[in-house]
Amino acid sequence: MTVDTKDAAARPSTRRDAPGGARTSTGIKRRFNAKTALTLLAFLAPAAIFVGIFTYYPMISGSQMAFRNWNLNDLSDTSWVGFGNFQSLFDAPEFWGIVRNTVIWVVGSLIPQVVIGFAVALFLKRRFRMRGAYQAMIFFPWAVSGFLIGMLFRWMFNAEFGVVNDLLMKAGLIDSPIPWLAEPGFAMTAIIIANIWYGVTFFAIMILAALQSVSDEMYEAAALDGAGKVRTFFNITLPSIATTLALTILLRVIWIFNFPDIIFAMTGGGPADQTHIITTYMIKITQEGDYGKASALGLIVVVTLMLFAAFYLMAVRPGKAQR
Amino acid sequence: MKSRFITSAAVGLAAALALAGCGSAAPSANGQVTLKMVESLTNPTRTDTIEKLIDGFEKENPNIKVELISPPTDQADQKIQQMLQSGKGIDVVEARDITVGSFGANKWLYDMSADLTGWDGWSNLTDNAVKYSKQDGKTYYIPYGFYGLSLFYRTDVVKDAGFSAPPASWSDMLEQATAMNKPTENKFGYAFRGGANANSNAVAIIEAYVADEIDKENAFKLTSGKTIFSSPKAQEAMDLYIELFKKGSPPSSVAWGYPEMVQGFTNGSTSFLLQDPEVIATVKESKSINAEQWNVAPLLVGPTGKAIQPVASAGWGIAESSKAKPEAVKLIKYLAQGDAATTFTKENSLVPILKSAADDSFYSSGPWAAYVTMTENPDTYVSAVQPRGVSWWTEWIKKSDGELQRVLTGQMSTTELLAGWDSYWSQKMAG
Amino acid sequence: MINRMSIAGRISKVVFLGLCLLATVFPLYWIIITSLKEPGAIYSLPLDYWPRQLSLENYIGLFTKSDFGQYMVNSLIVATVASTVATLISLLSAYVLARFEFSGRGWVMGAFLVTQMIPGFIALGPLYLMMSNFGLVDSKTGLILIYIAICIPFCTIMLRGFFENVPDALEEAAMIDGCSRLGALFRVLVPVMLPGVAASFIFNFVNCWNELFLSVTLMNSDANKTIPTALAGFISSFNIDWGSMSAAAVLTVVPTLAIFAFASKFIVQGLTAGAVKG
Repeated sequence: MTVDTKDAAARPSTRRDAPGGARTSTGIKRRFNAKTALTLLAFLAPAAIFVGIFTYYPMISGSQMAFRNWNLNDLSDTSWVGFGNFQSLFDAPEFWGIVRNTVIWVVGSLIPQVVIGFAVALFLKRRFRMRGAYQAMIFFPWAVSGFLIGMLFRWMFNAEFGVVNDLLMKAGLIDSPIPWLAEPGFAMTAIIIANIWYGVTFFAIMILAALQSVSDEMYEAAALDGAGKVRTFFNITLPSIATTLALTILLRVIWIFNFPDIIFAMTGGGPADQTHIITTYMIKITQEGDYGKASALGLIVVVTLMLFAAFYLMAVRPGKAQR
Repeated sequence: MKSRFITSAAVGLAAALALAGCGSAAPSANGQVTLKMVESLTNPTRTDTIEKLIDGFEKENPNIKVELISPPTDQADQKIQQMLQSGKGIDVVEARDITVGSFGANKWLYDMSADLTGWDGWSNLTDNAVKYSKQDGKTYYIPYGFYGLSLFYRTDVVKDAGFSAPPASWSDMLEQATAMNKPTENKFGYAFRGGANANSNAVAIIEAYVADEIDKENAFKLTSGKTIFSSPKAQEAMDLYIELFKKGSPPSSVAWGYPEMVQGFTNGSTSFLLQDPEVIATVKESKSINAEQWNVAPLLVGPTGKAIQPVASAGWGIAESSKAKPEAVKLIKYLAQGDAATTFTKENSLVPILKSAADDSFYSSGPWAAYVTMTENPDTYVSAVQPRGVSWWTEWIKKSDGELQRVLTGQMSTTELLAGWDSYWSQKMAG
Repeated sequence: MINRMSIAGRISKVVFLGLCLLATVFPLYWIIITSLKEPGAIYSLPLDYWPRQLSLENYIGLFTKSDFGQYMVNSLIVATVASTVATLISLLSAYVLARFEFSGRGWVMGAFLVTQMIPGFIALGPLYLMMSNFGLVDSKTGLILIYIAICIPFCTIMLRGFFENVPDALEEAAMIDGCSRLGALFRVLVPVMLPGVAASFIFNFVNCWNELFLSVTLMNSDANKTIPTALAGFISSFNIDWGSMSAAAVLTVVPTLAIFAFASKFIVQGLTAGAVKG
């Protein structure tokens, strides 16, 4: 084997000593011979085959519909229409409202998820009795499917027989039941609450894991310097987990953007399209049978997210090496 | 080790891909044929009924096996589209008046006309059933039953509120529903349809208001050739309808589709429900209201004194790609005749397809009496054909539902709504 | 002063964690309560926070009126096989991506990341057509293959982080001792990063266990349907069967909850070692 390993052993240890994620670069330049190269290829092959056949092929094959008149209600004319489908999407009066909803949905779900998730992780960092059991309970929303969460919250937010209204009335906060899923503002609030319930867990797990990899010595050193809690948090805790936090946020933005399940089960995008986000709107269009327009919308989603990821990573990268 | 692993993984993958799963029905060596039958309006009780009928059919035809596929109803039509498009694994399919247009246009359905010429079963079917089986000279499906609107009402609540009879007209409805609406007690008048398919009841009231000038062959058109939405009476109708929502219906009903409306009635929170006969069976099972507390009245009339009965139908058709068409035709004939047809319409409470039902006491008593009243008074309860088979029908439903919700949530006026619907249909009908 | 602060701090901690727990657990509690009410009692006002009469009718109905037991078995088979295979395959690809720098590595990572951005619906039609041509409609094998493909990208990204925290020296030593690269990977590296592998497996399992749309589209017969299809089936055109649905939901959540209870320590441990790294 001709793999060059001169600094390999030094790598893992660097990260504990250097806060702020100042790890040595991940990719170590290595040279390898043809046999190793073949092995590597063979290692990558199964993943590439599966993802190629079952994800990329259908996606690419499906995306050609975006440029054709492809309506399941009448497939007798499936001619190419160029960007016609995109045009009619942009021209639809509800489109920009749906874009706005998508932003509200993503930001409105993300920020509370990060904040609450962070707080939970901070509190869970220290051992206490029953911490294991507590973790298991608080992590469990992640195990529930989006569809089920949607149905569950639809039931709890039911205007007449829902427990939410009942509790609010008992607490004296409201006099008459709120028709949660029937009024635009309330409906948006309700779906975001459901999504927060679901998503806090993921942040809590990820941030907790990152926190636990920050060494105690650093906190002790900070304490010796007389740094207060707030300063310690901003000078040590936050920089140490910045990378994990940044990437977790990126992944979650992508997922939340692409997560029609809860909304679809709770409101179906209603009332009056006021809770449609781009991906639920896409389902609505496929149900109408217009696969051309739906595929065009799908492509818009992919491109938007790719651009977002690229800019986001560029913006986050430089800060990564410092604190 | 690695090469063995990779080889075996590759072999495994290839084997898995080569695995023949389900082919469409084709006669096997011993002459046994398997039909795949897909339902769309799935619900557990109905699935049981169909299974029962299939058993009967298989007994009569030992060489035919029927496999029933029952997807969840919300996803069913989309799944059926995929199946029909792929041309595999589907023989008999539940076609609805609203899907048959597009299925036919895509040449996904088989025209059974030739197989059914000279079929002795035709004479047993009602005129309506025959008419719907032979639309545009093609037999894409044979209806298993019909849907039509009637008014479910709470006898006890109506009486307690001091009314002697259930509402007969839309303005009666407004009056009674308003009187019964007590939001603080979770009691409401009318189970308003604001969610999925909200357009259907809105159109029903509009049609009742323009009944005198409606084109019976196309219930979205007036005899003058303009759309029903262009009439000033349509404006009156919608204004009353919105008032009914505001004064006599639960606020949450903006989002109510079929299940919520029915549940609103069966759990006792609303007193009036405009629905299909299908619901009779469900209401009978209700644990919150008992048999003495409810009944069914005819559809509400407009100021014209008339109502338009929007007949809806669904039935069984055959996939063009099926390789077992003769057997599939056999099954469809079986389901359209005798006990099988009667059992299906009774257990699902549908308007029957057989003439013999007229003599059946089942249909002249209890909740069904209203239907008899309606059929016996065709001048008051006029039946007219809605253009449900057009290929843009689903587009219309989604569009009109969304816009109606806009009106209900105060983002659009009824005038704008009607103008929009008028121009949509004027354009579509012009071609 | 300091003492009082820390008491206040402790109180706020307990209150906060308590509230979080309440908010998290209450929906679970509510669904259990709903599932144990008699079918008619679901719609009785005032709401009961504890059923007046405990009833197992909803649960019994699941097994007598539908094939729920069969669906559970199907889900278990599909999710277990798919997530196991996906984890194994991802171990291989993650290993390569973590250990070697080659031209195109960024593209491979990018290609994996992009899969997370594709809305499933865009691919549904062509996927169905392909599966139907392979004869893999209504087949567990077919669903398993697709689920594997769905799990691989995120699983690879996750596992790659873990590999980067295991010293290269380990497998070099093993290879000098005569292990093949694959042998070194599975005999030496995997045991070291077991918590991480377990965490990845669980993520895969949960995803497969919960997947709805593909399952509904591809599965026809009761012998192959998975639980989410059954859940969706409780919404029929004129009725949402909240009782049966809650009972089914409880039965769906319990196994995953059990895994989480058993493995939450593992997950955090595993992720502590790697998490998602750039």
